[in-house]
Amino acid sequence: MINPNDIKFYDVQTIESHSTGIVLTNGKIDSINENETKGSGIRALCGGSWGYTSLSGNKDIKSGIDDAKMLAKSMNSHSPKDEVDLSPSKIPKKISSPKPKISPSDITMEEKIELLREIEHYIKSEGLKSTTVSYSDSTSKVIYMNSEGAEVEYDIVRSGFSVSAVAGNENTIQSGRESKFDICGYEIFKKYDPFVAAKKAADTAKLLLDAKTPKGGNPKVILDQELAGVFTHEAVGHASEADLVLMNDSILKDKIGKTVAPDEITIVDNPMIYEFGYFPFDAEGSEPEKTILIKNGIMNEFMHSRETANRLGGTPGNARSQGYAQPHVRMSNTYIENGNSNFDEMLSEIKDGIYLIGSRGGQVNTGEGIFQFNAEMGYLIENGEITSPVRDVSLSGRTLDILKEIILVGNDLKINAGFCGKAGQTVPVSDGAPHIALSKATVGGI
Amino acid sequence: MGKINENIKDITEEIDEIISIMDNAISFAKKSSADEIEIFYAKSISTSVSFRNDKIESAKESVGSGFGIRAVVDGASGYSGTNISERLIDSVKAAIKAAESMDGDPMWKGLPEKSEYLEIPGLYDENVCNMKLEECVENTMNIIKGISSVDGVKPISGGFSRAVGINIIQNTNGVSAQKKATIVSASADASAESASDTSTAFDYGISRTFDISPLKIGENAAEMAKKSLNGDRIDSGKMPVIFHPFAFSSLIENTFAEAIDADNVQKGRSPLIGKIGEQIANPKLSLIDDATIPGKTGSCSFDDEGTPSQRTEILKDGILKTYLYDSTTAARGNTKSSGNGFKSSYGSVTSVDLSNLVIIYPKSDIIRETKSGIYVNSLIGAHTANAITGDFSVEVRNAFKIQNGEITKPVKSAMISGNIFDLLKNISGAGYDVKDVGGIITPSIKIEDISVIGSE
Repeated sequence: MINPNDIKFYDVQTIESHSTGIVLTNGKIDSINENETKGSGIRALCGGSWGYTSLSGNKDIKSGIDDAKMLAKSMNSHSPKDEVDLSPSKIPKKISSPKPKISPSDITMEEKIELLREIEHYIKSEGLKSTTVSYSDSTSKVIYMNSEGAEVEYDIVRSGFSVSAVAGNENTIQSGRESKFDICGYEIFKKYDPFVAAKKAADTAKLLLDAKTPKGGNPKVILDQELAGVFTHEAVGHASEADLVLMNDSILKDKIGKTVAPDEITIVDNPMIYEFGYFPFDAEGSEPEKTILIKNGIMNEFMHSRETANRLGGTPGNARSQGYAQPHVRMSNTYIENGNSNFDEMLSEIKDGIYLIGSRGGQVNTGEGIFQFNAEMGYLIENGEITSPVRDVSLSGRTLDILKEIILVGNDLKINAGFCGKAGQTVPVSDGAPHIALSKATVGGI
Repeated sequence: MGKINENIKDITEEIDEIISIMDNAISFAKKSSADEIEIFYAKSISTSVSFRNDKIESAKESVGSGFGIRAVVDGASGYSGTNISERLIDSVKAAIKAAESMDGDPMWKGLPEKSEYLEIPGLYDENVCNMKLEECVENTMNIIKGISSVDGVKPISGGFSRAVGINIIQNTNGVSAQKKATIVSASADASAESASDTSTAFDYGISRTFDISPLKIGENAAEMAKKSLNGDRIDSGKMPVIFHPFAFSSLIENTFAEAIDADNVQKGRSPLIGKIGEQIANPKLSLIDDATIPGKTGSCSFDDEGTPSQRTEILKDGILKTYLYDSTTAARGNTKSSGNGFKSSYGSVTSVDLSNLVIIYPKSDIIRETKSGIYVNSLIGAHTANAITGDFSVEVRNAFKIQNGEITKPVKSAMISGNIFDLLKNISGAGYDVKDVGGIITPSIKIEDISVIGSE
């Protein structure tokens, strides 16, 4: 009944993963968790319809492929629509994924616990109400194959730690948190000094006890690299994902070739640099490419999967998934390139305003181009100088307006690791920027 | 056509085999160095159909399953997980090794014992299990139809899904229990455009049985998007804010829910430490965690540790009565588990979570009673609220001005700031529109004197 030639494409992404997590709270090990999983996500395309199946454990992939094909065919006959064609995918020839210097499996559980205890003990002496140190590592093998004959794989190790501290007085309790994640092994603790991070978290918590909540309004602001990175990711990055553009859900959809920001602004997404969002090929087996989203203030290109690249014209390489879930167009390492200003020049230029530091996260409504993000802390800028600390500050705005309010771009780019949620899936990313100064922004406060 | 999906997968397939694998692991565990072992198994089968713009894009069928293992040594719990059945015994060993590496907990009172469980009606619907792909497609088409029925509004994305899940828990204290549940959900994102403005909105419905209307969900999203077009700027100031259940539940989930988690209380991370018995909210406000309500999305006969479900009064007449507990926190707090030990996935550590949180406040026509204020449908950035202090500063979405008891013009871009514990004191009304938003069951809530910041 069904012509087997109806299926024009299928692919299989298989992931085997081993992970360890340790949490130490208030001097005691709170939890240890070890997970070992294996599974496959399978897609098949028939006409303009996708069928998708997933299998967990040691299941027969062949039956999963058959099921995905049946789903695609069934969908195509239920609700036929325009043919979907896929842009050709460049399959990487040689994969040189970074190898860990110290494999997490070579370090005993006892040794890992001992280090976490030392880190916690180090800040314990600072008189805090609560402290938590967590560590995690994961080792994954990603295997990709498709009906065009591609067959590629890579191994990747990700590690990270975070330290959070809670300080309290009679009026309030406040927290500070520092985290470092990277594509590396146990050398994470050599790349980033955990004691410095722990001290910083503790200092932030204590400083915030006496910080004030600023008055809400529309002041001039300087964003530190981490917060400017979150702004880049939320306000510009998501709206530059071609699947959202095609869904008519992006404020940047008609902006290619148009000026959207000052000419000092260049924003790129680059999966090839060894930051937390790195991958040697994407969830469709495509070799990644650097995408220049905004070039000297002009909207330049979007990020694509093979399907969106074909529909809009562009280069695939940004299809990503959490584990073996269904791929979507996602960012990797997204950042604003360096400008010319140094921080002191920014302070004197801004004169009076707020300096916002660190991020508790953000969210964007890409269709309307409205975003919100929350700073971990900040300082008032008075007469060109940093003065009293502030807490509980959020910033919101319209992407297109706020890009135009950027008046200075720093020369001190820093990239931070993080996790990004979209379509119910979380993937590792990084985002970054130099310090940036805005002529005005809506700041929430009392 | 129509022959393709005849073989609906049966959730109970392979279950006998799984139980014998678990029995085998329990026998192994009894001979091991661990004091106690718990083996948790979860399996789900889901079918979802999604759309982009006005076209159905894909159909997805996922079968997921896996084991979570917990080993207790000297009162400390070590965890492991795997979705490879052949590796279960190795996982048990890994959990034991983890537990042995931990500090003992002298307060530990043991994993739950075998007990009787209440049958909660309405959590499993055979019709949902038997729902065919064709029906899922049709329901998805109806969401698109609902959106497109509103003039000038287009679908962005969304979909329909149905799932059936099974959980099995066994432990070395004799607990051996099984629960099945079904879930149906539909979601719609819609976009309205005028010459000078674009507005988007969403709606969704989630239920244990197919009693949601995909068409209506589509229409709701579309109407909300259309009504939100061409919004006004708003002057900053303090004013009453009415939170739609979407907006109120997202704040509660990110702040209050964390504060009543006994784990956060015991670790010094909750502003409600030492407040049991105190008046912390408006005396007309009560909050109840209740896993026993028939048919609700957060209901279950027992939690993920095998503790029987119960109804827990958290806040009664504004007075804080209790925190929520799992076995670990209950032992440390010298009390009993409230049946709130849940796992986010089979392989995760068990922690305290809400079942259904029911928000109770006398109902009235809160919009009519408001002279001047704003109505907020949902929030952008609720997850950035400070869980430790309850402070939040978020952007409003699909918000409207209220003037002389009527909803008037939409508001474009404004932030609201405050503290959840001040909000609970300043509640001044609740609407008639009770909604179950992913386990938080709340009407619209009116709060006085919220700081609203308009953009320039």
